[in-house]
Amino acid sequence: MSTQPLLEVRGLTTSFFTSRGEVQAVRGVNFDVLAGEIVGIVGESGSGKSITCMSILRLLKSNGRVVQGHAKFEGANLLELSEHEMRKLRGDDIAMIFQDPMTSLNPTLTVGEQIIETIITHRGSSRKAARQRVVELFELVKIPEAASRLSSYPHEFSGGMRQRVMIAMALSCDPKLLIADEPTTALDVTIQRQILLLLKEIQSRLGMAIILITHDLGVIAEVADRILVMYGGMVMETGEVNTIFAAPTHPYTQGLLASVPKLRTANKERLRPIPGSPPDMLRPPIGCPFAPRCVHAMEICVEQVPPTFDMADQELHQTKCWLHHPDAPKNSEDAA
Amino acid sequence: MTQRPLVEIRNLKKHFKVGGGFLGRNPKYLRAVDGVDLTIQRGETLGLVGESGCGKSTLARTLIRLYNPSSGEMKFDGEEIATLDQKELMPFRKRMQMIFQDPYASLNGRMTVKDLIAEPLEIAGVGDEKSRTARVHELLEIVGLNKDHATRFAHEFSGGQRQRIGIARAIALNPELVICDEPISALDVSIQAQVVNMLEDLQKKFGLTYLFITHDLSMVRHISDRIGVMYLGKIVELADNDELYENPKHPYTRALLSSIPIADPVEARKREMEEMQGEIPSPIDMPSGCRFRTRCPLATELCAAQEPKLKELTDGHFAACHYAEP
Repeated sequence: MSTQPLLEVRGLTTSFFTSRGEVQAVRGVNFDVLAGEIVGIVGESGSGKSITCMSILRLLKSNGRVVQGHAKFEGANLLELSEHEMRKLRGDDIAMIFQDPMTSLNPTLTVGEQIIETIITHRGSSRKAARQRVVELFELVKIPEAASRLSSYPHEFSGGMRQRVMIAMALSCDPKLLIADEPTTALDVTIQRQILLLLKEIQSRLGMAIILITHDLGVIAEVADRILVMYGGMVMETGEVNTIFAAPTHPYTQGLLASVPKLRTANKERLRPIPGSPPDMLRPPIGCPFAPRCVHAMEICVEQVPPTFDMADQELHQTKCWLHHPDAPKNSEDAA
Repeated sequence: MTQRPLVEIRNLKKHFKVGGGFLGRNPKYLRAVDGVDLTIQRGETLGLVGESGCGKSTLARTLIRLYNPSSGEMKFDGEEIATLDQKELMPFRKRMQMIFQDPYASLNGRMTVKDLIAEPLEIAGVGDEKSRTARVHELLEIVGLNKDHATRFAHEFSGGQRQRIGIARAIALNPELVICDEPISALDVSIQAQVVNMLEDLQKKFGLTYLFITHDLSMVRHISDRIGVMYLGKIVELADNDELYENPKHPYTRALLSSIPIADPVEARKREMEEMQGEIPSPIDMPSGCRFRTRCPLATELCAAQEPKLKELTDGHFAACHYAEP
């Protein structure tokens, strides 16, 4: 494996300019995605997880703008490419799937037609070859009776099957990076499992990298190699999935993990919620965005955004929290 | 338990007519609820789980008489309510209330919080303007808001706070039964636990009985005393919560439980990578015999020929499967 990451994001800052003021959706996000790994981005609504990826793909709404930072894909800064170059890259080297496949598919064309068109546009294949490729892709994503389903319209598929169609479309040009934004959120739990297993299987067969955006800690735990925990437009904690779940160091991550009931144990004990509610990004807190809800908050947390500290236990484990400053009082960690 | 159950449902059906031929000949029916037996004891929380389209919300809405049942019996505190007309239902409406999934859609944005919460009191003709205002203030305190919020509009609140308003509205008339239809699904993870804790507190304080409908299988285990699993309009398994999770008898329940993502990467990767085949069939054209047989790993000819009955396998543990054993 080469040492250069497939995707390198540094200092990414994105704002939306609304009539009520500037909404600071993403504030200085850094992360890498290596070839062939699954990176999970977990966060609540408004944490900036989707906007981070939309910024990278340059698919922001017209009032949104990347104010600062870069996103290098194989060395080229995506934020500086021409619209033409970007369009070539999207759907080719970088593909994406979204929560609701119905809004991403054209309801007036058969699904086969839509994917054939993509392949011809990006690859310049003949119609016949493109058609053959779509049948292969449908088989890969396990759509039953693949060849005959090509001539079906999107509304003739169930939610789960539609998501399979989206995945087939995303894979049509052998992407190096697949961005999946809440791909299973709208699906039932049994179908969710089918899609997650499919994504994992395809990832290990084709070797592409995946960024999986979700609010569901269970989904992240099932499939991700590394995770980013986002809150208030910032990355609060990042590291290997096992490390983060076993030994979270950020009070937000700790709070999030403590607030979900443990399934495997018979428990009637009280849940431990995080008090308060997420920040308003029109007027985010001056210091750490989590400080107003944090049980360990110190004076400095309210005043200054914490730097990102490297954790000793694991390489690449980082936490954005003043508690991990060398001079921070150590006993305040006990309560967690 | 010799106490009279709060709710007793017998062979309840709710069919919706969908289309049909010329002049309504040969109409087709969507059998959303198709023969459900269920009792809910006073003071317990009964969880109801299943995939979308399994009929769990229709069952709840029929119980509260938002829909008229197609057939079957529904007793509330011993009295038959399935056949009552709107006027006769009025006294019962006070005693059962509902909390909805979407706190954005279920609260009228043009009404103040005070009007929203006072509305059920007004309809039921409880008290005068002054006493209703006092009651609204009291209710706001109970759900963790304060009386200063009363003059504001619902859109000024976050999702979690809106759901608190919805809960205040639901408990305003001191109901006995509260139906919670996916009350936390629309909320952020960090807020869900706040709302669940509050529901538990309210239950203790006011002796509420909950019918808790959800597709979140980890939360339902936490909150419920007993859990019913629905599939295509029928209850396929019913048991105490821990019993159901530790000893599931129906192949559908087993498949459902093994599909839950576990928020623990080590545990999650240890288990076998099994998945349930296929998708839920249409409730308009249902499979013959057992409704689950098209996706079931155990299915045989018997399952196609004969529909299994919901039978009690061990004390309080029911399952509807030809191959379920005690």
